[in-house]
Amino acid sequence: MGPYDSAISAGSSSGSSSSSTSKPHEIDGLLAGAGYKVRSSDLRQVAQRLERLETVMVNSPSDVSQLASDTVHYNPSDMASWVDSLLSELNNPHALPLPSDLPDFPDLIASPVLNQTTMQNDDAWADPNIIPPHQLKVVTAMEEDSGIKLVHMLLTCAESIQRGELALAGSLIENMQALLTRVNTVCGIGKVAGYFIDALNRRVFAPRGFANNSTYGSAYENEVLYHHFYEASPYLKFAHFTANQAILEAFDGHDCVHVIDFNLMHGLQWPPLIQALALRPGGPPLLRLTGIGPPSPDGHDSLREIGLRLAELAQSVNVRFAFRGVAASRLEDVKPWMLEVSPKEAVAVNSIMQLHRLLGANNTRNLPIEMVLGWIRNLNPKIMTVVEQEADHNQVGFLDRFTEALYYYSTMFDSLEACALQPSKALAEIYIQREICNVVCCEGSARVERHEPLAKWRSRLVQAGFRPLHLGSNAFKQASMLLTLFSSEGYCVEENEGCLTLGWHSRPLIAASAWQAAADVSNPLGIVNHNNGQVL
Amino acid sequence: MPQQNRAEDQKEKRPRFCINDHIDILIEILKRLDGPSLGAAACVCRLWCAITRNDSLWEHLCFRHVSSPPPSSVRPVVVALGGYKRLYMVCVRQVLSRLGHSDLVRRVWTGDEVQLSLSLFCVDYYERLGSGSGRLGGGDASASSLMFLCKPVNV
Repeated sequence: MGPYDSAISAGSSSGSSSSSTSKPHEIDGLLAGAGYKVRSSDLRQVAQRLERLETVMVNSPSDVSQLASDTVHYNPSDMASWVDSLLSELNNPHALPLPSDLPDFPDLIASPVLNQTTMQNDDAWADPNIIPPHQLKVVTAMEEDSGIKLVHMLLTCAESIQRGELALAGSLIENMQALLTRVNTVCGIGKVAGYFIDALNRRVFAPRGFANNSTYGSAYENEVLYHHFYEASPYLKFAHFTANQAILEAFDGHDCVHVIDFNLMHGLQWPPLIQALALRPGGPPLLRLTGIGPPSPDGHDSLREIGLRLAELAQSVNVRFAFRGVAASRLEDVKPWMLEVSPKEAVAVNSIMQLHRLLGANNTRNLPIEMVLGWIRNLNPKIMTVVEQEADHNQVGFLDRFTEALYYYSTMFDSLEACALQPSKALAEIYIQREICNVVCCEGSARVERHEPLAKWRSRLVQAGFRPLHLGSNAFKQASMLLTLFSSEGYCVEENEGCLTLGWHSRPLIAASAWQAAADVSNPLGIVNHNNGQVL
Repeated sequence: MPQQNRAEDQKEKRPRFCINDHIDILIEILKRLDGPSLGAAACVCRLWCAITRNDSLWEHLCFRHVSSPPPSSVRPVVVALGGYKRLYMVCVRQVLSRLGHSDLVRRVWTGDEVQLSLSLFCVDYYERLGSGSGRLGGGDASASSLMFLCKPVNV
């Protein structure tokens, strides 16, 4: 966490930190070599004030020119008081002396009302209302510090939950909620921290409410949120386009093709594939699509509706198309006979962020994932496209999981900042917030967001009898082009041993890979067992 | 005086040229305009408006700078999905401006960019199919998932 790390000690019960243990009135040696006299104890404050000075200079350049001509620098080598004098010139026309003996707690702006004695109190905060408006420009340093403090408190709270010290966790949560009121929660660390504090709050104070997934809302709500997540960020578009490119290449030369989609939702992935098949040289094949999705309540068949829309599109572009919907509330309830795969057709299995739901806790045997991967392999698909979140949210220890989730979702929220589409952005954030809640609050079978990184998926799939297919340069080019269409410059596509990852500022957040059933050593012709009740 | 008469005679001998009488020439000229100019041309008069509604003009505009001409199978697909004018307005214009950094006119499209535009166009058509039923939570006829293309680029 940078230079503030040593100052924020491990004292979890009190919010303030102690000053450094070295002799406080010693002049810092390194700066002395450069000609500046700064006390070691003052280093942190001086750094903060230099930052503040920079902020003020950037925000009001007109003042700076006046500063250059009017300010008298009494002793520039004494950096602390020199910066103070500059700041006081800029902040206050009547040069008020800034208190030089502030505790290490985040900086407080001098105001006529506040006096020094109140600032000795560990938990004292300047009342924001007292700060005159023209000084609000320099509060960013205070917020940054609070942000770091929040992160530290979040991790401490998670650790106390892991240790079972729920009372301590509860009091930390209250402290954090108080701290949150002083931080900008519209964006940045404040917003992410708010969601995590909320999740911890639910875990500690309302454990029963999250025993089952029904509290997360109906399937329809999920679809709407998913759609807005699709609109507001490139992650799902990247997933769809990359998978489609791989499927298109795998279907080359086949006249009967069958796509099995593990989570149909609005079916937004399939129009581009239908169009690409319509335009492929040699003409389009017969396309069958089997869409799996949750059963819809009140007799309303959403799967069939999506199927009809896709059929209408396919008909417009002259692609022979057939749709079948399979309603299942859990993926492990789907049996291969429901899919009616014919041996003549080329099969593609498409899983966008679904396989991780089949993972149980690490120590259970006969995981549903093994069963499902088993029957997928028996179908002998031409290709299986797998897209998963690139994060390790299935670790056994709660603190490890929490820490990983905090960094992963901070990065993801960061990337969403650039989106200007409302209400898509707000709804996309709710979508992500539900994931966060599931990772943090739920345990056992209720926790379905068991994300694992690409490396683990690789070994798991190889063990289940699959071999990787390289995604190829076309997929990479397409993904890069797709990203340049997004206004934000922080996204990056990377190639990782034949798989593609999309990330924000070099942190991969989502990984796409393609697989095929590996030929058995004992079965050199690759004849697979069709005894799973397939219709011949 | 006689000189003036001769000038007037010469004027009368030369037939007046009105572009509206020569639609084929007009179309050839309009084919070479860029998108905004074509839109402005549509506002000139009813005849020009009718001509610019002709989708083949926009087809020419879409693929003017493609390195190799698109296969003939593309046209029925584009027509089915909404036509070249819509393809240009909704996808091609934005894709061209985002992916080309400097001089748009001389830039050559690659087949990949064409394919990407067509894919996005197909998503647009699909969403318009769905907006009738109101399933996606909004009666907005404009394709929502392509709205990211309309945002100004944050350079």
